[in-house]
Amino acid sequence: MLELIDITKVYKGGKRAVDGMTMHLNPGMLGLLGPNGAGKSSLMRIVSTVTKPTSGQVRYEGTDVVANPDRLRRELGYLPQDFGVYPNLTSREFLSYLAAAKGLSARSARARIDELIQLVNLTEAVKRPLGKYSGGMLRRVGIAQALLADPKVIVVDEPTAGLDPEERVRFRNLLSDLAADRVVMLSTHIVSDVESVASDIAVVAQGRLLRRGAPDELLREIDGQVWEVMVAPAEVPAVQARHVVSRMVRTANGVRLRLLAPVPPTQDAVRVSPDLEDAYLGIIHRPAERTPAEQQAMRW
Amino acid sequence: MVNARVLAGLAVGDFRDRVRRPAYAVTLLAAIGLGYLAVPNVNSTWVIMDVGGNRGVYNSAYVGVVTALAGALWLTFGGFSVVRSGIARDETSRVGQILAATPLRTSGYLFAKFLSNLLVLASMTGVLAVTALVMQLARGENRSVDPVALVEPFVLLSLPLMALTAAAAILFETVPLLRAGFGNVVWFVLALVISVGGQSGSAPFGGLGVHQVAQSLNAAMGNQHLQSAAGGFSLGLTKVSKPLGTFLWDGFDPSGGFVLGRVVLVLLACAVALLPTLWFGRFDPARAAGSLVPAKAAADGEPAPAAADPFGTAGPEPAPAATWSTAPGELPQTAPTRAGAFGRLLVGEVRILLQGVSPWWWAVAGALTVAGFALPMETVTGMLLPGVWLWPVLIWSRLGSQQVENGLEVLLGAYPSARRRLLAEWASGLVLTAVMGVAPLVRMLVAGDGPGVVCWFGGVLVIPSLAMSLGVLSRTHRVFQAIYLPIWYILVNNVAALDFMGAVRVNGKPVGPSPLLIMALSAAMLAVVFLVGSARRNVKG
Repeated sequence: MLELIDITKVYKGGKRAVDGMTMHLNPGMLGLLGPNGAGKSSLMRIVSTVTKPTSGQVRYEGTDVVANPDRLRRELGYLPQDFGVYPNLTSREFLSYLAAAKGLSARSARARIDELIQLVNLTEAVKRPLGKYSGGMLRRVGIAQALLADPKVIVVDEPTAGLDPEERVRFRNLLSDLAADRVVMLSTHIVSDVESVASDIAVVAQGRLLRRGAPDELLREIDGQVWEVMVAPAEVPAVQARHVVSRMVRTANGVRLRLLAPVPPTQDAVRVSPDLEDAYLGIIHRPAERTPAEQQAMRW
Repeated sequence: MVNARVLAGLAVGDFRDRVRRPAYAVTLLAAIGLGYLAVPNVNSTWVIMDVGGNRGVYNSAYVGVVTALAGALWLTFGGFSVVRSGIARDETSRVGQILAATPLRTSGYLFAKFLSNLLVLASMTGVLAVTALVMQLARGENRSVDPVALVEPFVLLSLPLMALTAAAAILFETVPLLRAGFGNVVWFVLALVISVGGQSGSAPFGGLGVHQVAQSLNAAMGNQHLQSAAGGFSLGLTKVSKPLGTFLWDGFDPSGGFVLGRVVLVLLACAVALLPTLWFGRFDPARAAGSLVPAKAAADGEPAPAAADPFGTAGPEPAPAATWSTAPGELPQTAPTRAGAFGRLLVGEVRILLQGVSPWWWAVAGALTVAGFALPMETVTGMLLPGVWLWPVLIWSRLGSQQVENGLEVLLGAYPSARRRLLAEWASGLVLTAVMGVAPLVRMLVAGDGPGVVCWFGGVLVIPSLAMSLGVLSRTHRVFQAIYLPIWYILVNNVAALDFMGAVRVNGKPVGPSPLLIMALSAAMLAVVFLVGSARRNVKG
């Protein structure tokens, strides 16, 4: 349905944000995971037709959308990471304008706006100008605009920023519902945003696709390599230098570390079940697939 | 502890940020164009400085002084718009809140902003000085370069005025009423007063310094036994009946009192810049009578970004709204259908263009319209028409830049039919222009004033086209304000060459450029809008 073929984006000054990425997407949710600066937002903007790739193709149902972006734009819902609004318009006025920009008929625009305002529960605030909305409310307006034209492709970039925990859960559920018969591409650096809802996860770093698979597949790769150890506080830096540490809790008896290692890191290390965060860190920091310069760049 | 190094660091950082903005480049190009106009071809009848029908031979001293004076006047108007957003930008970018949490004192912050403003204007003055040198060599009347004589007028005449302009920008930004576009209009009037009154010999602290220069020029003419024609000395773009005669002028020797007056002007500017220390709220929403940004929107509709704010720091907490539910089955059930939506798009653009306009604005617009039906015909075409096509200047200035200034560029970048949206935005400006001018149109139709009606249509087309093209090119509303106001001022001073609306009349007939030319110009500007829009989409990112 949506194909990204050897996409590369090089910005002025030579920064290579996306480096030869190829992906094929069908209905379902793809969670795009990666650290800050991995190229996720650049890729999302390319898929959303906002940015043109330096090379490569984006094809939607066979159409080259780099050359003919309106084909995808008519069936696309895009929620960027940061966006502004016209502060003196109400949410209904703002959505009406965007519906007209999408080319929706007056009748269907009116009905869908009513339904969407209800969906994101902004009915009580509908007469208030957007300039008086909170960050979370504006994010909900963003979600509503993305669903205006009943899109077949939904691209959401770091969508849960500004949402409280309850809203975050509900938004993830909404995306999960939408993904039943649509392509949903969700970009985030928060693993918990994708682990409960994405059927397909792509891990990217430094503009490259490092791994793609179902959550179970990613977890299987790291099974048997996640450990918990208790160490004295003074030993923590040495352990961190040797291993990827995913969690650290200070207790009265010392510091309990959860870390990745192919073999038991200490004699009293306890093997634990991996979770998606472990798998993500394992992929990001796996030495075999990175050059020494890249490994250095990935350390934090 | 704030020392000179910290202030310089702040000022230079701010300066770098500003000079990388398109508005700086546009103003700089205009300044270079002015430098070109200031030293016209020997046969030109368009002049900036006229000394009783004469001008100086184009040596370093004369070219320096004429370019410095012309540049000072231009930068007082246009430069003000470029430098006046420094504090508001710190608020929208939230850099202000970071700075407010440092030991930096309010006075230090304001002074650094003043220095940054001055650096921006001084850099433009520097470019003008280089332009003057190039023009002296290009005109070739006297190719002997005297660097001191060339640069001295820029230091003594331009810089004190730039300091005042830089300080006024700080003052205006900290006063709620003057913070937005209304402040631009107030400054335009104030700058006019300074430009005219400052040329007087009795102006305080030597005024613009023009009087001393004019005395020296007249003395040189006297020494060369040249008669000064009626009108004496004039500064400003004017058309003369025949090319000016020439005389030799080697510059003027500024007296100690004159130099002291210039120094006092700079010190006065420093005091004006520091005055807001008494009330500046240090970006504390609780202390401000409304933060800088929303106040802008409320005052006269300058764009006020209300971006999705993950930090929730954009001022007082909004009233709580319930969270939302996504239980299965609540997704919208209505299937979207597509139909021609240009009409609704236009309605949306009109709504966006007019968002936040105060009832007072509408009241004045209504009064102007009523007056258009009541006043005598000559008054309607000669005074009211220019008036009704000045009143919406702050609203027109949003055209072409409101998407960028409201942070919607990325979101709308994924929407279809970008050209249709541009067209609708332009059409919204056209609707506003036409509605504002409806009374003069009806009067001209009733009076059978065919040429006036045709000129009216030229005006309706050219104003939104100019606003759109400048907005799209510069990505800010200020450039249109800085360019339209001087054009309008020249027009109402009966300069027919710039009369795009048919207001300058001889024997009741418009004598400005052909309406066909105006319409062709509008079409060209509209073409620029589409070309730039398309080019931006192609290279975006």
